[in-house]
Amino acid sequence: MKKITLKTTSININIVLPKISIDQDLCTGCGICFEICPFGIPQPTNNGKFEVLEPERCTECSACKRNCPAMAILLQERQGCGCLYDARSRAKNPQSDSCCG
Amino acid sequence: MRKLEEEPDTYEEKFTALTKGVNIKVKDWILNQIGTSHSVLEVGCGTGVLAANIALKGNEVIAIDKNFQMINTAMKNYPTDKEVKLTYQIGTITEIPTEESYIDVIVSTFMISELRPFEQQIFLRNAWKKLSQNGKLIIGAEFVPSGFWKIVFNLKRWWYKKKLRRLRLPSTSRVKWFINYLEPIGFKIVAEENWKHGSIRALELQKTTNGDDSEPGYYRPPARKFKGFRSQMQIYKCIFTGQADHIPIEPGIYQSGHPDEKSPVIATANYLYTFIRVMRALKGIDSWVLCVDSDGINVWCAARGNNFGNKQLIEAVEASGIENVTTRKTLILPQLSAGGVAAPLISSESPSFPFNLLFGPVWAKYLPQFLKDRPAKKPDKWKLAKFTSSHRLRAFITHTTFLLRKIFFLPSIVLLLLLVGLSFIHPPFWISKFWRIGEIWLWIIVTNALITVLFPLSEFTRKFIIKGIFFGILNVFLLGGLTWVLHSNFFLILWNVIFYFWVAFFSTMSLSGYSMATSPGEIQKEYPTFRKIHILLLIIGVALTISGIVLF
Repeated sequence: MKKITLKTTSININIVLPKISIDQDLCTGCGICFEICPFGIPQPTNNGKFEVLEPERCTECSACKRNCPAMAILLQERQGCGCLYDARSRAKNPQSDSCCG
Repeated sequence: MRKLEEEPDTYEEKFTALTKGVNIKVKDWILNQIGTSHSVLEVGCGTGVLAANIALKGNEVIAIDKNFQMINTAMKNYPTDKEVKLTYQIGTITEIPTEESYIDVIVSTFMISELRPFEQQIFLRNAWKKLSQNGKLIIGAEFVPSGFWKIVFNLKRWWYKKKLRRLRLPSTSRVKWFINYLEPIGFKIVAEENWKHGSIRALELQKTTNGDDSEPGYYRPPARKFKGFRSQMQIYKCIFTGQADHIPIEPGIYQSGHPDEKSPVIATANYLYTFIRVMRALKGIDSWVLCVDSDGINVWCAARGNNFGNKQLIEAVEASGIENVTTRKTLILPQLSAGGVAAPLISSESPSFPFNLLFGPVWAKYLPQFLKDRPAKKPDKWKLAKFTSSHRLRAFITHTTFLLRKIFFLPSIVLLLLLVGLSFIHPPFWISKFWRIGEIWLWIIVTNALITVLFPLSEFTRKFIIKGIFFGILNVFLLGGLTWVLHSNFFLILWNVIFYFWVAFFSTMSLSGYSMATSPGEIQKEYPTFRKIHILLLIIGVALTISGIVLF
């Protein structure tokens, strides 16, 4: 979850953005995201489209976003393979490439 | 070299120092080989020293470099004392700004080691197209020498790569397979000169044609064995070294069975393990297997680290000429490459890309059924990446050997030498302590086995630090029990508690990356806190454990 705090002079608004969401207006229901997500995060809805029920399980690999023909997926892509050594090398140098074999 | 290129003004001087003056000899040799009154193209001209000298010999020269700064510096050094035909231009190996079949001689020095294998092939093919009939390509580059000097070269290179890694600089590629590309693409060596035992070579290549003189050929890597003892050993090698070492095979087209133009086309990464698994999974089903140059990294990690994306795919299709062996219009990709490949963008990035992309199953073992059924919707087990017990077993082996090789090996040697030294002072006491190093290794193996077996239990949270604390506590009981069995000494257990906790805490974080379900965002966010806890525990744990060896 990404927390964004908007501060104005009088009010504080806290908006919690999920890691991933599918824009229901743009989704055409083609199902590509459903076919390529290795964790089964996009799920079909009753009206023939797709939605995300458990955004916290997303690994931000961006497979769905990259391959969505309707650009309906909202997601902040994160580079990296999600291992400790990758996090370590990126902490030292954000531009570094993947560490793994 | 890329580092030197950042400062064009000092490039020549520093590069001459780096090659110990051989670069000047290479340029002299090349100047000697080029006659006069030719049209010459230099690719990767750098500061333009060679191009200017070639022009001064009475040739018409076009010199290109992709680095704008270099072209700028070259323009400053433009020869003014004599009338020359010399043009400097921005250009790359894929965008050579000259007409086809026009150039007599193409020159390139110390550039091909900056190119990856497919780029080298694309460069050779583009050079072939630009050369006139019987045109020549003259290349100066670093090569791998043969015989005894290969060992010296590899040692030097190992040292050099370590230095580059420390300085966080990219290293050049080894010009390993380059010579093999020449004949199939359409070149033959007509003259050559070696320096430094063949680690730097200059080659004069003549363009050849095989009947059809309109197109250069394509290089195809030799067939690779994927069954039998040797490949099984290679599988084990990959499992034992998986995390740290890239093990690339030659990228290019391989065949499963006896494919024809109607056989399916499957793309995969050029990690040796991946290749063997895909070829074995296909069980000889007639198909074309295109190994993309993912730098010897598996599909998932490569896709997430910019090593398996549209760029690599477009490059592989262009360099291998795969569209010439098939009439199929669909290229089947591993599902896990989707994190790098953006199928909707491919036609805009490469308008002549000849295939539609289709993401296949998540694991290669489902390929045969996938090829047979071609389902519009894959069943769950074909598309969901579960961290099953067999995956966990492999992860356990890879991770434990990684820890022992890369993290605990050197400290163990230091400890051993220390104990050997102390043995001279009081032999019976210290010699009896030797096997305690083995005991530490046993702790690491047992800890990782614990995490591997009980990993699903830690799914109550996504926070690695909490997972680490969970396994840390369990490990204190497990290793405490083990120490009780071996020593029956309660104080020794107490002394080692921090170390027991740390091994599990650190291993959990380290092993979690194998599960695929970890998010780089989450792990990067937790890393600073993790690092603080880890370093604190490590220092206290190691100090106590070492003193425990002395005291108990």
